[in-house]
Amino acid sequence: MAAFAAYTIIGLSLGGIFSLAALGIVLIYRTTGVLNFAHGAMGMFSTFIAWQVFYGWSHPFWPGWLSTFLAVLAGLIFAAGMGLFLEFAVFRWVRSREPVVKAVITIGVLLALQSAASLIWKNNQYHLPIYLAPQQWVWVVPVADVPIGANSVAIIVVALALAFGLGAFLRYTSFGRAMRAVSDSPTSASLWGVPVGKVGAVSWMLGSLVAALAAILITPFINFDTTSLTLLIIDALAAALIGGLVSLPLTVLGGFILGLLETYPTIWIQSIGFPRLVALVVILAVLIVRNPRGFSVAAK
Amino acid sequence: MTSRLMFRVLGALVAFTVLARIPVGFDVGFKFDAALAVIWAFGLLSLVLLTGYVGQISLCQATFAGVGAYTAGMMVSSLHVDYLVAVIAGVVVAFALGVIVGLPALRLRGITLAIVTLGIALVFDRYIFQDHAFEWFTGGTAGWRVGQATMFGVRMDSSAHLMAAYLVLLALFCLVALLLVNLHESGAGRRFRAIRDSELAAATMGVNLTRYKLLAFGMSAAIAGMGGAFYPLVAGSVSPQPFWLFTSLQFAAIAVLMGVRYVPAAALGGAFMAFVPDVLTRYGHGTFMGHAYEISYDWFQIAVGVLLIVQLITLPDGVWGDLRSRVHHAWSAVGAVGGRKVKVA
Repeated sequence: MAAFAAYTIIGLSLGGIFSLAALGIVLIYRTTGVLNFAHGAMGMFSTFIAWQVFYGWSHPFWPGWLSTFLAVLAGLIFAAGMGLFLEFAVFRWVRSREPVVKAVITIGVLLALQSAASLIWKNNQYHLPIYLAPQQWVWVVPVADVPIGANSVAIIVVALALAFGLGAFLRYTSFGRAMRAVSDSPTSASLWGVPVGKVGAVSWMLGSLVAALAAILITPFINFDTTSLTLLIIDALAAALIGGLVSLPLTVLGGFILGLLETYPTIWIQSIGFPRLVALVVILAVLIVRNPRGFSVAAK
Repeated sequence: MTSRLMFRVLGALVAFTVLARIPVGFDVGFKFDAALAVIWAFGLLSLVLLTGYVGQISLCQATFAGVGAYTAGMMVSSLHVDYLVAVIAGVVVAFALGVIVGLPALRLRGITLAIVTLGIALVFDRYIFQDHAFEWFTGGTAGWRVGQATMFGVRMDSSAHLMAAYLVLLALFCLVALLLVNLHESGAGRRFRAIRDSELAAATMGVNLTRYKLLAFGMSAAIAGMGGAFYPLVAGSVSPQPFWLFTSLQFAAIAVLMGVRYVPAAALGGAFMAFVPDVLTRYGHGTFMGHAYEISYDWFQIAVGVLLIVQLITLPDGVWGDLRSRVHHAWSAVGAVGGRKVKVA
């Protein structure tokens, strides 16, 4: 029972990360029609920027929280800049092309970012994780006698807060309304005076920020190297597909479900690769059960 | 035999004779690259069929090649069969896997198919090729080692016999490429292209979508698997790394970059994919104006990614497609100089 509860905690933290990553994918897909295969790679690169600040450039006499704060800040600023750069340098020029062409372009982004990172930070697994909360902050739940790390709690809280925050932003602010208008029909939105270009730029910036946040939060939970964070994309896509690539709340729910589904089998099956199979089965199940044509609605 | 077919057969024969002579003077490393180039060219050719002809996306072509490689490796290492049998087994297993992967494609297209094939590539990369539950197939962490292998009674194993393996590979590639070029205008090819242009219209015209989509996936996987089946012969052993997810992504990127609708673009892409990284790691270091520099393999993948982005924005038909249309323009311009009738395009 204690093992089960412990695995539930791990699964929920993992699910929170998947939700975070998937939120960025859904956000970008809804507003720009680009299914971003490079989402994990973008998060990975920003995380390595944070890692570099945290372990490479921070002064040993700084207090721990200051290094963490500066590292995360640097990672997020870089992520926002990268999102803007991609929009202005690449995706602005292919706005009217088919969704498939845009998706293939993101594969180019993925390959370039992944190699650039392994060129700069080398392709090995010695990288130490970035702890948002100190590692020794652990609470023990009195009933089930399960230790809960502050990092797990942080991930779940950030995921839920961001999901509801983004949802509220899209629903109640005028810019959020503009984003939803563009996602419904870019042509009509531009006729009504919605700045379509600006909406695209903000979507890429926000999506990239969320990707970076997810990737920084996941570092204590996986072997943190250039490929593992890039490959987070498949779990994020599975969660996003559960939400139909449109719904933010369903995406978050999907992320948590996927996190639990991937964690429980590890009680019995000691295999690094098995969770990937779970993700694939979830993707297939969602795509076969739901009408796939429904997914092309948001892609203009 | 129509004159067009004769012309193509002649073209394939000329290509074979020229390409067969090229690596003769190379050292062992570049001979290995030449054989590897044909193996990768098979992978790219499989995308010419699947994406260029039938319009289906796949991000798991390296998985098919890997399955072909592991099957061939298993046959040779544990059953000690003639390598020809091993290749046939690899192709058959890859074909079967292709048909299985094609099943979800019956309901999916475009980006959803890309997601599913990406998932399949990742499952094979991280789970089936690496997990000890599948050691009977992958030969454990060491992989299958090919000791002594013969094909048509000729020794083909190890680096000493690399050229023999290269010739067989190249001959097979020219044959398959010729078949694919001819497929384009055949009945099956017309049905494939009808599916690419509009599945609904194709189905209305009586094309059996189930049969032809599964056939396309199976044939494409078989082509990739045929190249992969030679990998243990050329490299001496099989490991998961050459067939991991990023090779699949590179296949997709380079196929699109070179021109996914053109058969010769696959050969060009294969050479690009095999030679450029090796040339970079061999000669890409030294000093420039007093500063030591080193260009590693990673630069190759960065270049592929950036080139793909630039190409999709500026030349949607790929490098080969662009060259082809330029040559056609130049040709018609030459015709105009001679005072002939100018064709208005």
